[in-house]
Amino acid sequence: MLDRRQFIRRSLHAACAVGVGGTVPQLLLPPAVNAAQDAVIAVRRGEDIPLLVRETLAALGGMERYVRPGESVVVKPNIGWDRAVELAVNTHPLVVKTVVQLCLEAGAAKVQVFDRTANDPRRCYVTSGILAAVEQIDSKQVEIVYMDRRAYKEFEIPNGKALSRWSFYLPALEADRLINLPIAKQHSVATLTLGMKNLMGVIGGNRGMLHRNIAESVTDINTVIHSDLTVIDATRILVANGPQGGRLEDVEVRNTLIASPQIATADAYGATLFGYQPHQIETIVAGHQRGLGEIDLSRVKHL
Amino acid sequence: MRVDRKWRIIIQSTTLLGFLWLFLQTEYRGTDDLAYPVSLLFRLDPLALLAALFAPGDSDLALLWPAFLLLGLTLVFGRFFCSWLCPLGTLFDFAGGPLRRPSSTFSGWPKAKYYLLASLTLSALCGLQLFGWFDPLSIFLRSLTLSLNPLWNQLANALFDWLYQADLPLISAAADFVYPLFRERLLAFEQPVFLLSLLTAAVLLLLILLERVQARFWCRNLCPLGALLGLCAHHSLLQRSPQTDCADCKLCASQCRMGATADLSAPSAECVRCLDCLDYCPSQRIDFSFARQAVKKFDLSRRTLLAASLGGAVMAPLAAAAPLSASYRNDVIRPPGAVAEEEFLRRCIRCGECMKVCIGAALHPDLLRGGAFSLWSPVLVARLGYCEYDCTLCGQVCPTGAIGMLKVEEKRKFKIGLAVLDKDRCLPFAQAEECLVCEEHCPTGNKALVFERRQVLVGSETRELLQPRVLTELCIGCGICETRCPVSGASAIKIINEGESRNRQGLL
Repeated sequence: MLDRRQFIRRSLHAACAVGVGGTVPQLLLPPAVNAAQDAVIAVRRGEDIPLLVRETLAALGGMERYVRPGESVVVKPNIGWDRAVELAVNTHPLVVKTVVQLCLEAGAAKVQVFDRTANDPRRCYVTSGILAAVEQIDSKQVEIVYMDRRAYKEFEIPNGKALSRWSFYLPALEADRLINLPIAKQHSVATLTLGMKNLMGVIGGNRGMLHRNIAESVTDINTVIHSDLTVIDATRILVANGPQGGRLEDVEVRNTLIASPQIATADAYGATLFGYQPHQIETIVAGHQRGLGEIDLSRVKHL
Repeated sequence: MRVDRKWRIIIQSTTLLGFLWLFLQTEYRGTDDLAYPVSLLFRLDPLALLAALFAPGDSDLALLWPAFLLLGLTLVFGRFFCSWLCPLGTLFDFAGGPLRRPSSTFSGWPKAKYYLLASLTLSALCGLQLFGWFDPLSIFLRSLTLSLNPLWNQLANALFDWLYQADLPLISAAADFVYPLFRERLLAFEQPVFLLSLLTAAVLLLLILLERVQARFWCRNLCPLGALLGLCAHHSLLQRSPQTDCADCKLCASQCRMGATADLSAPSAECVRCLDCLDYCPSQRIDFSFARQAVKKFDLSRRTLLAASLGGAVMAPLAAAAPLSASYRNDVIRPPGAVAEEEFLRRCIRCGECMKVCIGAALHPDLLRGGAFSLWSPVLVARLGYCEYDCTLCGQVCPTGAIGMLKVEEKRKFKIGLAVLDKDRCLPFAQAEECLVCEEHCPTGNKALVFERRQVLVGSETRELLQPRVLTELCIGCGICETRCPVSGASAIKIINEGESRNRQGLL
């Protein structure tokens, strides 16, 4: 039995063999094999962010449950905009840094951090503070990189409702583990942007087209990119003028961190921070319907 | 005084490499302010100085003082710039070398450049500044920015991509190993693409091909900067003797790259002090010295000079006979901090620095938007790239003050235009589909693009839709909405130049 990652590697080798100098055929992915996907959630509050991250992850049973020694990990924060930390539009650099450190402590062989930004990537990486924070870790096993334009490949989305195929970023699919680190923000089209929408940062193509049916499109994307753990940064949240903000008046400090192996479950709790019920957010409902997690928070085990 | 010619070649190469290095530094490197004076080439440029001095408004001489230094050095050493420092001259020497034919009998028009300079100067004084079209430094940098650098990136990326895809044993691994270094240091962050890249390349190619007609054809016959430096060099302290060919030899007639000893020339102004003749003179008669000596007179035709000046002087009124572009079109979007259009065109020397540094790849050379004389001046083409909200780089590199230097807080408020919706194509209006990509990307803290919830009748069904609306007073025209608009081809939201900060009489 092939596992998912072996499949990708083999398909690509085959594709390269046929495709040198020509076009690479579209590839069909087998459905995701979910790892530790129990319906659990951990929510913690605190002002000391590194401590907060450690406590939240400890409540979930430790990073060791999600990252095993020798594995390669992609940590995917939101670095989408050319905005400073206090404006609450990118993931807090300390959240990113601590999660990366926890991955190393759990024995990860390699940790990569990247995001496909909306503003100029160089500016976003610097202004968000994430470049500096990750570089501070100063480990050869950790790298923060810009997206490599050559590494996007188009895949079929077998059970897509809005999309039949889309271009995805291979390093995110190929890594042994993907840890999703969104920040909780208001979004005019999707109402909120949380974990599921954050994974739009590892796809290619004209992302604007997805806004036409954003709930199903984002869910389609999520059926291909499987994340092993979602940690929502709600240390401060953006409640208006999202997703790119720019005004301190729109920022609320919540000192909260939400973590769950199930992406829709994490998002469901995230929605409540803004005063919504999970079923009011179309993307979350669509995610639940397609098996991305329990969204009835009373049925979720709070750790 | 003896100098081996290899020293000149070393200095030429080093200078060229130095300017290429500055060129590569002309981009965002992690700090809001550029770390190096990347537009040094134009701060040295006396033609840029003239353009700035002749323009209305105050010029920042703190920026342009190196040009005075160059003029001062020319008064002492003659036209040394052309053979020791000028990057375009170096390019002609290196690229043109193999093209040159010793048998060419073309005697040249060494006086033409003085007439051209007179014409350009009078034209600039009267209101139409065209130095930039003919400034060799502008030609060099603009060709580099718009043509050569994109070409280099295309070739290098194609090779790296092919090796990446082909996955050849060892070679591909080696290529992937050095790729980050290339990407970091030598390649552009994104493949550069520019309007007019072909036209710009064609001009450079033509000038290089003219080497076949005559060595340093451009420098000898046409270069207005050479002419200006020649005027300063005419009575410079360092002079060559003898000033003409020796009756028994005439080797200089064929060897001198500038034809300085020819009958048509004033050697003191044409000689670029390359000192090669010290090497090739078989009888070592040539001497460069600071000793006072009689110089051969300039032999310009007064009549032609007068005609050229008059021609230049009437260019400005002639240009004014065409309607102002702003009177019938609205797509001339200038960079943030640009001065009012008339002054802008009088200051801009078409060097291309702003287009090189633009982080959003938004600035492109104009062809006709701003009128016939706007060629190669920067315009923002928002469908191709947008003006990054917190970036002030174009103002930092502009050598002549055509684009003023703005602080980030000023920049965020500087309106370069206004977004207007094309409701026939905008998805929520035309197709009754949700979109709002423009609203999502709008960078003004209080969004200039808002949405309204509307009931829309689609066929027989009523649909609730979010439709975008532009708030005129908040929009600064950065163009990110036009860049990111997901419809194919032309955008369904466009930046027009209404309500620009630099042009307060706008109606909106």
